[in-house]
Amino acid sequence: MNASKSTRVIQIALQIALAAFVLLPFFWMISVSLKPATEPFAIPARLWPQDPTLENYVTAFRPEFRTYFVNSMIVSGASVVITVVLGLLAAYSFSRAQLLIITVLMGGVVLAQMFPHSAIIIPFYKMMRAADLLNTYASLIIAYVSVTLPVAVWMLRGFLLKLPVSLEEAAAIDGASPLRIFCEIVVPLARPGVIATAVYVLIVTWQEFLFALSFTSTKEMRTLPVGLNDFIGQYGIRYGELMASSVMVSMPVIAVFFFLQRYFVAGLTAGAVKG
Amino acid sequence: MATVELSNLQKNFGAYTALENLNLCIEDGEFLVLLGPSGCGKSTTMRLVAGLEEPTSGDILIGGQRVNDMAARDRDLAMVFQNYALYPHMTVGENIGYPLKIARIPKAERANKVAEAAGKVEMDHLLTRRPAELSGGQRQRVALARAIVRRPQLFLMDEPLSNLDAKLRTVMRAELKHLQKELATTTIYVTHDQVEAMTLADRIVILNDARIQQMGTPAEIYARPANTFVASFIGSPPMNLITGTLAEGMFRHTAGQVAVDGAAGPVTLGIRPENISVSDTGDLTGTVYSSELLGDSTLLNIRVGDGLVAAKVGPDEGRAMGAPVGLTLNRAKLHLFDAETGDRRA
Repeated sequence: MNASKSTRVIQIALQIALAAFVLLPFFWMISVSLKPATEPFAIPARLWPQDPTLENYVTAFRPEFRTYFVNSMIVSGASVVITVVLGLLAAYSFSRAQLLIITVLMGGVVLAQMFPHSAIIIPFYKMMRAADLLNTYASLIIAYVSVTLPVAVWMLRGFLLKLPVSLEEAAAIDGASPLRIFCEIVVPLARPGVIATAVYVLIVTWQEFLFALSFTSTKEMRTLPVGLNDFIGQYGIRYGELMASSVMVSMPVIAVFFFLQRYFVAGLTAGAVKG
Repeated sequence: MATVELSNLQKNFGAYTALENLNLCIEDGEFLVLLGPSGCGKSTTMRLVAGLEEPTSGDILIGGQRVNDMAARDRDLAMVFQNYALYPHMTVGENIGYPLKIARIPKAERANKVAEAAGKVEMDHLLTRRPAELSGGQRQRVALARAIVRRPQLFLMDEPLSNLDAKLRTVMRAELKHLQKELATTTIYVTHDQVEAMTLADRIVILNDARIQQMGTPAEIYARPANTFVASFIGSPPMNLITGTLAEGMFRHTAGQVAVDGAAGPVTLGIRPENISVSDTGDLTGTVYSSELLGDSTLLNIRVGDGLVAAKVGPDEGRAMGAPVGLTLNRAKLHLFDAETGDRRA
């Protein structure tokens, strides 16, 4: 075995070990979700249930779950649409205008990403209360757009910087107005960036817990991550149903990510190196 | 079709002057080539005419109308870009028809015009392809078709052949010239390739350091370059420039002398390679540095004093490296330039 071959074998072994490390919690989540109520803490512990059952899924798929699911769909869907539209417009300006103020503003956008959610939740809460928006979809959508927009602008700007300006100039000479150039030339060509940004916003908003817990107070307005909390009671945790719910909550995002991962990876690295 | 007039046109980018006080009139239907090295201001001039840049001062008139404040889309011109700038998400047909779609030409009429324009550049069989599925030459043709489809009053072409290989460039050059004459549309063409400029232009404008160096027909510029920059830029291989002193009707150089009329003083003598004959003796003497057979001729590079002089001789007149030779200069084809300013002496 020559040196390059053995290096390759070590690389693959390390990659398998890393993948196993990352995937183990997912595997355990699925395993527990298929175990009967008595088995999660059985000794000796089993990696895979002796008698797999879908009982936890049947119990977890209660009416509240469906309400939470719809709420999550509305809040995440609206956040994705609003963030991508605003992000595209902002990123287009940031990528094309050659003004000092634009550079300063882009610095502001980067700075806005640096505040953790826990640091901004109290002022956010006060604003939502003052605006009488607590326990509404609007409160969550506004919060989610606020926290995802800076990264969305940064991602989309990376994509737009790679689009040749000569295409927009050609369209201008062909007779197109600036709005038409944006809609018919820039947006279609930025589609991979738009998809990557939409996936990012979906992942962030779908799993968000802190804002959703703080801004909603009734079961009718709760989203899925907060709904999972229902299985954690004062006297115990219903692990089987909790894990079954977790699997169902994760599925849509995993499916979206699985089909669109190439756009997402491209989106995070766009503009990172000189093309 | 229209005339174009550039009056005292100036463009600065901060402290950098890209174009300095340019004055130029382009006749209706003329094929004008802006020629010069990188950074000379030729592309800036074209972008100013297109409306993609705003002039710092001066006026741009198209068809007698001042267009300084007019957006690019309202100037009724078409441009072919160096990288073609085809819309990658549209088919060939959609690319060609895009200006017509914006102008709200009805679909049926649009289809006819697209087919006609595509036919002119022999691309009518590839209308459903996307640009990524085309070769460089085909993309170039699509870009041309998109430019001609709505019959604008002015064509702008920014080094449209520079991305093609040498053989295809020659073919496209001929097609471009034919198309321009057929459509009789005023054309401004930017290039740094002097062969392209010589073969395509009705008139050439040579730019350097943001200023016009010379304007004229290709034949005029070739025959009477205005200064040493133009002399060394036009011609392949370029004109030989030999520095020496003029006194008593003789140009004197360390390698010899030749009779030339003119006022005494330091001068630069210009002579094109095809106007030098090589034998054992001559006006100047030197040794062969290299001998390159070009097929129909041989290019001899001869070390004369400290510099090299190129001579284009017959295909059978090649010499061995290091061989001593004499150079006889055609008296009627000598050019005399001021040694300090580089300007042509009368």
